[in-house]
Amino acid sequence: MKKHSVQIRIMLAAAALFFGLPLLAQNPTATGVINARLTHKNGIALVFDTDPSGVTLGAAGTSAATLNFGTISAFGPLAPGVTRTSVTAANYTVRTVFDVQVIQGGLNSNTYTLSAQLASALPTGFSFKIDGVTLANGASNIQTNAAYNVDVPHNLDLTVSTAAPGAGGPAVGTPLSTVINFQASAN
Amino acid sequence: MKVSSINGLVLRTAALALLMLAAATGVSAQASSAQLSINLTVQSSISLVFNDNPNVGSVGFCPLTNPGTNNVGLDLGSASFPGNFHSSTCVDYAHVGASFYEVSSAFDVLVTKSNSSSPSYRLAAEISSAPPANVLWLVNNVTLSSTGFTTLDTTDAFGRPVTKTLRLQVRNNVPAQILQETITFLATAN
Repeated sequence: MKKHSVQIRIMLAAAALFFGLPLLAQNPTATGVINARLTHKNGIALVFDTDPSGVTLGAAGTSAATLNFGTISAFGPLAPGVTRTSVTAANYTVRTVFDVQVIQGGLNSNTYTLSAQLASALPTGFSFKIDGVTLANGASNIQTNAAYNVDVPHNLDLTVSTAAPGAGGPAVGTPLSTVINFQASAN
Repeated sequence: MKVSSINGLVLRTAALALLMLAAATGVSAQASSAQLSINLTVQSSISLVFNDNPNVGSVGFCPLTNPGTNNVGLDLGSASFPGNFHSSTCVDYAHVGASFYEVSSAFDVLVTKSNSSSPSYRLAAEISSAPPANVLWLVNNVTLSSTGFTTLDTTDAFGRPVTKTLRLQVRNNVPAQILQETITFLATAN
């Protein structure tokens, strides 16, 4: 009986050594998990950038920029970045250049169509063109296959009547402003 | 006859007295002793939990759900490339290069040890599944893989929070979808 007990003890000790040593030899580990989640959305954005040959935009790099032609006239000096492209008896045109950059993400689209329209009726004696396209209160296509992610320069022409104030010409000596809305649509 | 009867009475009385004495002394003589042998093995162990960084709530430090445990959640909100759009006020959003955007958030990893003389630990991480093309999951500057653990640190100190930043980079041509991963962190005592 005593011999049997000794044998059991020896077997238990051997088992403990056999199974226990590998466990003791391992370095302890611990794990943890982070369940992370992002809803990735597609979209398209348009920003205005200053063109090197145009006037410096206010709030450049945003989608709500300002462009100041400064003081214009048929024959007088113009602000930097503004040129006079034509002078006739009926009107004269001043021009500046601005850049449009459209960025898209997540869309299966390689190009976009750019359109523009006047936000409200123009002051008397003015008309605007972008790249030769006359702007109206409805949307007009300016460019149909524009590339994303690059600054695309656009000519903004302002044609001013030479008529006198009250006779079809613009008000003189008074700051005038207008708003042009742009839209980029993925093709 | 009378004498023998008396002698018999004396003998019975003496025998009874002896029995009572024996019984009385037998109470203490039958006390038994016992021994309980206790066997156990103490093993070194370490634990890992995630905590909110002290800057939680500010940009780049989103709160974890279930912080203080080893199974937490991290909601990075919604985001897209154009217009720097991101819905979360706590994620750090940025464009990376010309065509990627990144959202990131930092948190703390705390590893503690018990019954161990290990001076430090190694930290590694692995994502649960292969991300879509042009989507990268990083911890700090280390890109994670779903094919095995990637080492983040080799000698982190026990008991001290280690701040890690989870970064998710998405290229602008990735279709809209939910991007999610279970990121397993593994701490191994050195």
